Amino acid sequence: MTSLFRPYYIIQESEMAQPLDYNRRSRLKHVDQVFRSEIINIIPLTDMEKLFQLRILDGAERERFSFLPGQFVMVEVPGYGEIPISISSSPSHKGYIELCIRRAGVVTGILHKTRRGAVVGLRGPFGTHFPIERMRGNHILLIAGGLGLAPLRAPILNVIENRTDFHDVHILYGTRQPDMLLFNYQYEEWNRISDINLKVIVEQGDESWTGPVGLITDLLKKIRLEPLETYAIICGPPVMFKFVCAHLQREGIPMDRMFVSLERRMHCGMGKCCRCNIGSTYTCLSGPVFDYWTVMNLKEAI
Amino acid sequence: MLFKVLGKKEFTTFIELLLNDTEVIAPKQVGVDTSGKPLHQYLPVQAFTEIDLSYETTEYSAKTYFLPFRENLSTCSFLDMVWDRQIKYRVQPRAIIGLHACDINALLKLDKVLAGDRFPSPYYISRRKNTFIVGIDHDPCEGGFCQAVGADVVTHGFDLYLTDLEDRYFVAINSERGFNVLQRVKTREPTARDNNDYLDVRRRIAGQFKPLEVHNLPNLMDIEFESKVWKKWADKCLSCGSCAMVCPTCYCYGIEERVSMDNAESAKVKQLYSCQFLDFAMVAGGHNFRPDRETRLKYRYYHQHRGFVEAYEEPLCVGCYRCGRVCLAGINPTDIIGDLQTEYQE
Amino acid sequence: MKYLGIEPKRPKVGVFDFTGCEGCELQLANKEETVPAFLQAIEVVDFREISSTSSDDYEVALIEGAITRDDEIRRLKEIRKHAKLLVALGSCACFGGVNRLKNGYDLDAVNQEVYGTEPKETLPTQAVKEVVSVDLEIPGCPVDKAEVERIVQHLIWDVPYQFPAYPVCFECKQRYTTCVFELGQLCLGPIARGGCHAPCPAGGSGCWGCRGPAADPNLEEFLQIAKDRGFKKREIKERLSFYGGFEDMP
Ligand SMILES: Cc1cc2nc3c(=O)[nH]c(=O)nc-3n(C[C@H](O)[C@H](O)[C@H](O)COP(=O)(O)OP(=O)(O)OC[C@H]3O[C@@H](n4cnc5c(N)ncnc54)[C@H](O)[C@@H]3O)c2cc1C
Ligand code: SF4
Ligand code: SF4
Ligand code: SF4
Ligand code: SF4
Ligand code: SF4
Ligand code: FES
Repeated sequence: MTSLFRPYYIIQESEMAQPLDYNRRSRLKHVDQVFRSEIINIIPLTDMEKLFQLRILDGAERERFSFLPGQFVMVEVPGYGEIPISISSSPSHKGYIELCIRRAGVVTGILHKTRRGAVVGLRGPFGTHFPIERMRGNHILLIAGGLGLAPLRAPILNVIENRTDFHDVHILYGTRQPDMLLFNYQYEEWNRISDINLKVIVEQGDESWTGPVGLITDLLKKIRLEPLETYAIICGPPVMFKFVCAHLQREGIPMDRMFVSLERRMHCGMGKCCRCNIGSTYTCLSGPVFDYWTVMNLKEAI
Repeated sequence: MLFKVLGKKEFTTFIELLLNDTEVIAPKQVGVDTSGKPLHQYLPVQAFTEIDLSYETTEYSAKTYFLPFRENLSTCSFLDMVWDRQIKYRVQPRAIIGLHACDINALLKLDKVLAGDRFPSPYYISRRKNTFIVGIDHDPCEGGFCQAVGADVVTHGFDLYLTDLEDRYFVAINSERGFNVLQRVKTREPTARDNNDYLDVRRRIAGQFKPLEVHNLPNLMDIEFESKVWKKWADKCLSCGSCAMVCPTCYCYGIEERVSMDNAESAKVKQLYSCQFLDFAMVAGGHNFRPDRETRLKYRYYHQHRGFVEAYEEPLCVGCYRCGRVCLAGINPTDIIGDLQTEYQE
Repeated sequence: MKYLGIEPKRPKVGVFDFTGCEGCELQLANKEETVPAFLQAIEVVDFREISSTSSDDYEVALIEGAITRDDEIRRLKEIRKHAKLLVALGSCACFGGVNRLKNGYDLDAVNQEVYGTEPKETLPTQAVKEVVSVDLEIPGCPVDKAEVERIVQHLIWDVPYQFPAYPVCFECKQRYTTCVFELGQLCLGPIARGGCHAPCPAGGSGCWGCRGPAADPNLEEFLQIAKDRGFKKREIKERLSFYGGFEDMP
């Protein structure tokens, strides 16, 4: 007698034969696969943060990989875990991506110890992005606090590369102390570009610090805004973006013209593990980039 | 849908056919509780006599045959700078006999999350497609409110569905696979009397449910976000996660990585989790987005009765009442929803 | 072996016995297939035979057993001076363990009962942390070898280890155990720290809390539940104090 049931082999499904591309929101079934990527360079930024340049090993996969500013990838170190990290490089940059990673726990701890040439896994890109296309023809405020410069660097580079599309561009960045400033080797370059207003502030100066001391909102107060022709992107800890957004709102910028990136625990990036839920919204699918109006409407968001 | 009538003797033959061919999971009595009530679980069975289709409910839902409590997602072998990954999906066919409507509806809800268009899960799909499902009608279980959440009847998501007409089964056929297997035993076409008897049973069952107002819940949950009801119940909560473990629809998880002692290989293990645990929403550095029991308990109801409705226009909960039955602290959905409705009315 | 270009550390580990059954140490030698790899990953220096602890030839000190005598206190303080990382291994070291039960009785009487007419010097049982500062506690009676291995792994790669935050019930449910409360028995599962894979409820005896309390346990409600189910105060108290892990709770 023949068997009652013919086994169903999922690996023989046509969707499984398709090349892996997370930008296809279709019935792609091998979403458990990663892009094997090698660390081509490691650039220490501060005591706590390092910049990792990663190149997808497979040429065809590397070609297909594309993302938008604000999106994140899941970085996997087999044996130690998988974590969400925002992409810090420019979306137009093909070949490799840059991730700025703070040492915080197990996976980030291992990553900080790895050497050039080590291979990790990448999945993604995931999540929503800053709607740069919608911001064309407007003034742009790019505001970061602390590690917030990591996710903000992608839109900064994107805006600089398309500078003619925008009116005034302000980049404001604040940290607690001067030795916590990220990408300080780039300020010089950004500052030299005419018509970009870069301002950096620290809460506590030291002997060598000559810049302003105070809160990020102090920088904001010095800027004359045309609120209805301005878009703002704010990345940083919740207390910081709450203050900044409240200030900008008072200045008259509509809430749906301010964008923030939220952080939650994540294990999948694909709307499956529920760990990232805010109220009942998936941060990995509907976020991490939200406009401020949506954030105000999310129960338990801030 | 096609219908057939299957005699009780032929039904035994049918089950034995399955038992000889494939792994069979069915309700089985595992003991009695302190009040003398029998306790059942869906377990692998070897003989027809082990199966108890008259069961009221099971301690655990059948979801673990699709979403195991622990599942190895991949293994990796290490070679200094690089590694090699192996992934295996479960393909062995399996039959589950005697699922109630709520449990099949629960699978349909899980399908939406795990087998939908957006990032479908190959692990889940492979198990789902390789499982042959035979459902069965039954009188409402104590506490169940499946009718209120629209999960007391089921029209797809199974292969065969039985209704007990005392001396025979009325069988609904919902798949070619089910049709083919049923052809191996003697069946007959339903007569007018069979149809009448079937409809009588359905009517009898439908008439026994207690009403529970749930349709306004998505809205109510927002309005009652700060309600005292949450604190009242959460003070009792042990954060033990048992409610999510037995729930047929809770699907969230955590990942556990294991490295072999000689550092040669690792396993990535998915473990079903629960939003009631302290570290569910905890991030590196120690910040916890839901540090207290109140927000955690509220979140469970939020996910079941609001979040899912927002995404799929139906609640996640199928009203099986397993979470209420298992909770040592007596926390249960009917009382919580009842409290919310009362408070709303006032 | 190197991984991703990282060279693991190979710490020297001193094992020190105090008052306990040595079951935990035995547990470390358990699971034969991984013992060679385990001993490859760390260098074990056994101090059982050596009476002096002045040798500073170790970075990690594994303390097994509870502290019950004066000389033990002196020895432990000496070890603390030398160890970079002091680990309390097993419930006895972490909470005093079963030895602690005697604290509830008159010490002289206990002494007489145990040693007859030749009483030994004995102090109230203390956990290691009551005598010196402890960097890491690995509870369990006995400790779970797999967990110890995982902790060692984190140690050699120098990344933090986190104990499970969930209670025993979680793992108990995950093995399809019928709750022993349903069968009329007492169980500390809802308030006891998980990670042991709940062998005791599965064996039918309920959890005795050998790994101490879970993160943020709801003791108040637990006591209420036990009371409502007809368990006597004495019975509950005995269960809670069995391993000494719930001692600091109100
Ligand atoms: C959308 C998004 C973008 C991010 N971008 C960056 C970035 O550009 N640079 C950077 O340094 N950090 C970023 N983070 C935070 C980063 O993900 C955490 O620091 C990291 O997960 C900590 O992992 P760990 O294993 O080292 O810590 P552990 O404390 O050991 O964490 C264990 C596990 O918990 C989860 N987890 C813990 N903390 C977080 C967290 N904050 N967010 C999400 N999951 C967490 C992870 O799955 C992790 O593997 C981002 C987080 C999110 C959600
Ligand atoms: S509601 Fe009940 S079952 Fe769920 S976590 Fe709380 S105490 Fe446990
Ligand atoms: S929430 Fe409770 S009643 Fe609803 S499906 Fe889950 S276990 Fe059943
Ligand atoms: S209700 Fe809680 S336990 Fe259930 S799936 Fe949602 S997050 Fe997980
Ligand atoms: S037997 Fe104990 S550990 Fe298991 S579910 Fe019941 S109370 Fe929890
Ligand atoms: S079930 Fe309780 S007593 Fe048994 S090993 Fe686990 S924690 Fe210890
Ligand atoms: S990260 Fe898993 S659901 Fe969002």
